Amino acid sequence: MPHSEHLSKQYDSDLEDIRSRVLQMGGLVESQILAAIECFGTGNYDLMAQVTDTDRRVNSYEVEIDDACTHVIAKRQPAASDLRLIMAVSKIVTDLERTGDEAEKIARMAKNIYDRGRLQIPRSADVRHAGQLAVAMLRRVLDAMARLDAGEAERIIAEDVAIDDEFRGIVRQLVTFVMEDPRTISTVLDIVWIAKAIERIGDHAKNIAEQVIYIVHGTDVRHTAREDHGEPDGAPQ
Amino acid sequence: MPSVWISLLIRLAAVALAGLVVGAIFGAATGALVACGILLLMLLAHTAHLARLQRWLKAPEQSDIPDAWGAWGNVFVDLYRMLRRERKARARIEGDLEVFSQAAEASPDGLVFLDADDHIVWCNRVSEQHLGLRGERDVGLLVTNLIRLPGFAEFIASAMEGASLLYRPPERKGRVLSLEAIRFGKDRKLLISFDVTQIERAETVRRDFVANVSHELRTPLTVISGFIEHLVDDPPHNPRELKHQLSIMDEQAGRMLRLVEDLLTLSRIEEEAQLPREEEFDVRDLIYDVSAEGRRLSGGRHSITCEVIPAFLKGSREELRSAFSNLVSNAVRYTPEGGRILLRWATREGKGIFSVEDSGIGIPEEHIPRLTERFYRVDRGRSRESGGTGLGLSIVKHVLLRHQASLEIGSIPGVGSTFSAVFPAWRVTSPQG
Repeated sequence: MPHSEHLSKQYDSDLEDIRSRVLQMGGLVESQILAAIECFGTGNYDLMAQVTDTDRRVNSYEVEIDDACTHVIAKRQPAASDLRLIMAVSKIVTDLERTGDEAEKIARMAKNIYDRGRLQIPRSADVRHAGQLAVAMLRRVLDAMARLDAGEAERIIAEDVAIDDEFRGIVRQLVTFVMEDPRTISTVLDIVWIAKAIERIGDHAKNIAEQVIYIVHGTDVRHTAREDHGEPDGAPQ
Repeated sequence: MPSVWISLLIRLAAVALAGLVVGAIFGAATGALVACGILLLMLLAHTAHLARLQRWLKAPEQSDIPDAWGAWGNVFVDLYRMLRRERKARARIEGDLEVFSQAAEASPDGLVFLDADDHIVWCNRVSEQHLGLRGERDVGLLVTNLIRLPGFAEFIASAMEGASLLYRPPERKGRVLSLEAIRFGKDRKLLISFDVTQIERAETVRRDFVANVSHELRTPLTVISGFIEHLVDDPPHNPRELKHQLSIMDEQAGRMLRLVEDLLTLSRIEEEAQLPREEEFDVRDLIYDVSAEGRRLSGGRHSITCEVIPAFLKGSREELRSAFSNLVSNAVRYTPEGGRILLRWATREGKGIFSVEDSGIGIPEEHIPRLTERFYRVDRGRSRESGGTGLGLSIVKHVLLRHQASLEIGSIPGVGSTFSAVFPAWRVTSPQG
């Protein structure tokens, strides 16, 4: 365990508690995205309500974890790797909370589409595939955080490109779809929103991966060009 | 008094005696000097032994126990005996531990040992596959950090007896695991994962089956009862209309009858493990029989030909007849008018193959593995209108299973399909040899 050298056992368990709560929150967001994607695939209204409901729990996790971080800083004045963990966690929960918002957005857009009574949804399979990719990315980044595996986090950052490519491909195909049949515009716009939300989930996962590297190595890898895919990263907002 | 003290006293007495003797001869000073010299030598010898003991204690595994004389020798021998006992005990415990961990490793279920705070202490290989754990690397991690399924943390914290949690591992599509947490020892826990994919699937199949049977029976029954209601309320005076209505009812009743008959056949085949009556019969006769039946069903809309070499087959003629005729009637149903159907008997490496080849609509590849499921339909509307019960291929599959034969399906959509029943060599005799 990384935090076993402290004299106070309580301090150790505080830190471990924060970390495991972040991961619990991540698991909740993970299931929320999966549910949102299923809403989009099946039009299950109950599930849409459930996604919105989960978002409330995600938000309360964020508040609780932030509070716990403030407490540790005030009471223990953490240094070195403990400080890095606390700083990174407070950024990770923001990313996770936004990911939850994106999931909610997907469910809301799916509801719009099904309310309109459209049964044929163009590029539905592609969008769901991109969604699966994004969920897998988030899951792996959370695994990397649990295992403090910086190598895995670096691989995940490189893979964000795949989701960006999927997004561009979907948009391109949707454009031709609209040109053929302009009546589909409103549905297509909703689908673009969903695809964009998925692409954002990928970005958030990437941000979390960067924080995992920061926890492990203490190096800030944000906004730095990586030679493995040869282009500068998009700036995380 | 321990022997070490006695021998020390004896030695000291000997030294004193030697000192006295030398002192008496060469003077007191020389005597004292000699006594001191001997004492010094003894001290040196002790220190040397102590040094050897220390050296050996630092790495007892690498060298044997050093030899020594006197009291030191006894100490070394005792030490050596103790070490040997320890080694034996340790080997026995290690062996027991090894057997236990091998047994846990051999378990078909995933096992994860957790400590009081739910950190992973040990996990077997099955659990690595089930839960995506990484063995040694994940030891010491919180299990709830790695399995983040909502509700799992509460589940593992309470570890209620008899409670189980269904888990669909994201890395392995379509698998369903049942998780159980058991408390043991002092506040330790054991997390067990069972693969319940098959059970879940069987449950789905059973549910689907009941729903399908009800649906298939209800449709014709609705038609019949609708007409009967009509006949009771407002009997038609026109005998031609009456005849028309009755013939529709007859048709629907026939459909229900076929369905029930197929269901009975299927359950009979499933129930009886043994073939009812094995006989050796002429395959050609059987194939000509079913082809004639196929021609009647087709009513001249297809060209049905046979290509058979003389052969005898051992098995239940009645059951195989029903299987073969199901294959032929399927071909007739799914081949558009004017298509060709070829019935063939051939041998390949001694195995007998009955195949029905048609130029029909074909089957998309993704449906092929599920074709023999009861009521599985590639195209719902189409197959019901063509009069199938949805049980034909299930019957074929079960009959062939009872004859240790297998069903092979090859199909290209739009070109045609080939259904082949492949019989093991020992069931086939060819007159030519």
